[in-house]
Amino acid sequence: MTTKHSAVPTTYSPSPTSRSKPSVSKDSIVDWVRPDGRGYRQCRPAFFRTGAVNAASGSAYAEFGNTKVIVSVFGPRESKKAMMYSDVGRLNCNVGFTTFATPIRGQGSDHKEFSSLLHKALEGAIILETFPKTTVDVFALVLESGGSDLPVIISCASVALADAGIMMYDLVAAVSMSCLGKNLVIDPITEEESYQDGSLMITCMPSRYEVTQLTVIGEWSTPEINEAMELCLDACSKLAEIMRSSLKEVVSGSQE
Amino acid sequence: MEFVNPEGLRLDGRRAMEMRQLRAQIGAVSKADGSAVFEMGNTKVIAAVYGPREVQNRSQQMSDQALVRCEYSMANFSTGDRMRKPKGDRRSTELSLVIRQTMEACILTHLMPHSQIDIFVQVLQADGGTRSACINAATLALADAGIPMRDLVTSCSAGYLNNTSLLDLNYVEDSAGGPDVTVGILPTLDKVTLLQMDAKLPMDIFENVMQLAIEGCKAVANYIREVLQENTKQLEVRRGV
Amino acid sequence: MVGLSVGEKRFIQGGIAQDLRSDGRKRLTYRPIYVETGVIPQANGSARVKMGATDVIACVKAELGRPSPLQPDKGKVAIFVDCSPTAEPTFEGRGAEELSAELSVALQRCLLGGRSGAGAGIDLSSLVITEGKVCWDLYIDGLVVSSDGNLLDALGAAIMAALSNTGIPRVLVAASASPDEEPEVDISDEEYLQFDTSGVPVIVTLTKVGRHYIVDATSEEESQMSSAVSISINRQGHICGLTKRGGAGLDPSIIVDMISVAKHVSEQLMNKLDSEISAAEADEDEL
Repeated sequence: MTTKHSAVPTTYSPSPTSRSKPSVSKDSIVDWVRPDGRGYRQCRPAFFRTGAVNAASGSAYAEFGNTKVIVSVFGPRESKKAMMYSDVGRLNCNVGFTTFATPIRGQGSDHKEFSSLLHKALEGAIILETFPKTTVDVFALVLESGGSDLPVIISCASVALADAGIMMYDLVAAVSMSCLGKNLVIDPITEEESYQDGSLMITCMPSRYEVTQLTVIGEWSTPEINEAMELCLDACSKLAEIMRSSLKEVVSGSQE
Repeated sequence: MEFVNPEGLRLDGRRAMEMRQLRAQIGAVSKADGSAVFEMGNTKVIAAVYGPREVQNRSQQMSDQALVRCEYSMANFSTGDRMRKPKGDRRSTELSLVIRQTMEACILTHLMPHSQIDIFVQVLQADGGTRSACINAATLALADAGIPMRDLVTSCSAGYLNNTSLLDLNYVEDSAGGPDVTVGILPTLDKVTLLQMDAKLPMDIFENVMQLAIEGCKAVANYIREVLQENTKQLEVRRGV
Repeated sequence: MVGLSVGEKRFIQGGIAQDLRSDGRKRLTYRPIYVETGVIPQANGSARVKMGATDVIACVKAELGRPSPLQPDKGKVAIFVDCSPTAEPTFEGRGAEELSAELSVALQRCLLGGRSGAGAGIDLSSLVITEGKVCWDLYIDGLVVSSDGNLLDALGAAIMAALSNTGIPRVLVAASASPDEEPEVDISDEEYLQFDTSGVPVIVTLTKVGRHYIVDATSEEESQMSSAVSISINRQGHICGLTKRGGAGLDPSIIVDMISVAKHVSEQLMNKLDSEISAAEADEDEL
């Protein structure tokens, strides 16, 4: 990307074990070195840039390590004629993968549920009452799939929505976590995801401290879930800061 | 392959003119206006009727009669080999049409103008004769929904294998490739509303096979009438009449 | 779609707030559960579960297949859900596709565990016949016959009942001459192995209406929900999967609270289902 890297902090990580609660996995032997050399609690550097697609009313490009995503937002525009009258706006989400997104060509298409998960994650944040009878279309395209695709899509989509000027209660930040044996690793890459025993993804609105979407896969005990949730929420609020500053940067840049 | 052994018994132990066991239950889907489960041996079908209600698609509304619609669907697990079929394949479109036309012929559609009646049939288990079972289930469901009808349409199939006319073919007999005649009748009016046959059959034998199928329909009609009367009696008891 | 008047909405919300719902239940009470097993004789296992007016059928079919090269020591399980238009006229044609996909994904998430297969409700390694060569592919099909809310819990219960009803034929593998050859298998017609269901979790959906949450919501109550959390919990009290539905955001502390309530409810539901399933199996044996 040919853009100036400003003083924006691009990496972030939840505060490590500074909480009052002791970490469940603290005593476990470190038997896993992350392939990209990160710490367990360290997220990949996050980069956002708005205005990636000219034709759209708002768009954003996000890059988290190898995961690269473009999201464009169209609308609010008139709903299709066949749709019945609705006094709140509609949200239409679609997630696509490029054929070259995955190491094996055309293998990224088996994520049909991503569209509905994206919809659910954003639905709670958008003030749909502000655009009755109309539809907002959110199209996400995964250019390269490098793990934690869905959280990146969701965060990027919320930046794109903000860029399009759609009214939202708050930015939606999403972070996922993988459980590998006894270790909890944040922001997993594809390689880690393929070995994971369980995963947890939180999307939340940090300023309102509200969770819009939460999915858990695999067997977890309650303390583990609590720890993972806390770490993810902390990471979410830090990620939201980065998202916010990327939006501010554009505005201050245009004023100069 | 021998479908009828020298003692005159078929593969599943029935005689040539014997039907499979019938079983029917009214009110299987509590949310629907009318519903029924109909079993013919191993073939098991659920039918649900919604309506008469407002026409969903205004352009299809008719000012002189009700719109009757039907959708036939098969559960993934209904056949022996599990298959994931796309919805709306040719076979189910054709069956939906056949069921719709048969039912439309007996519903007094002119009494319910500007309205729509939906019939949904879901095959839970298919073992030959799904067409007949669907029509019988639909009849029961329509009667349960209290929709005015000329008569109770009933249907039954018959075939001709090993020089014998066979009533109510099961899946193995059906897939043998012999002629298969499906008949739907209005029993009290004594009229045929549905007649389908594949493969060829000499004229005189055809008449024989068709007569057999009609007899089968009448037997089904008697059973359906019994089930409905029993159901009505129970309703009476519940109301305290 | 459920069309409710303002008065009806108030009635439902008010009832939930006062812990007396429109059908007389308390917030954390289930509708009577009715289980019938062996409804589809052609399948390896099947069950029908009714919760009030919600009626679902689950069916298990086992077929021989090849294990995936990534996990040669595990069998494969696929879950599909179909919504019959008999349940709701809007499910006609492609109308149910979205809901079916959502339910299928939620069930996969709740029952199949992580990518590595850890934490799966179904013991995948028990499905292997010859490592890397032959395994059982389990196809679990759910069918919604009638819908009155709480479909996910009902489907989860039906799948659990169907799995405990499942007999998998014993397979004899002839010792093949060379390791490269396809092993010859002989499927026994008489000997069946009972499927182990001790690890299968139950799914509890807590629906949040107003400030309270309820279990086993009817479709009227679901139309009033702000959000719902479906949690699958196994016998050890461990969480095997969690999905949030509904748009509105939730405070994280409420989610933690919901998890602990769901855990408590799941024990009762598990016991209830166990007794219903064994009663249904006894009924079936009598016939």
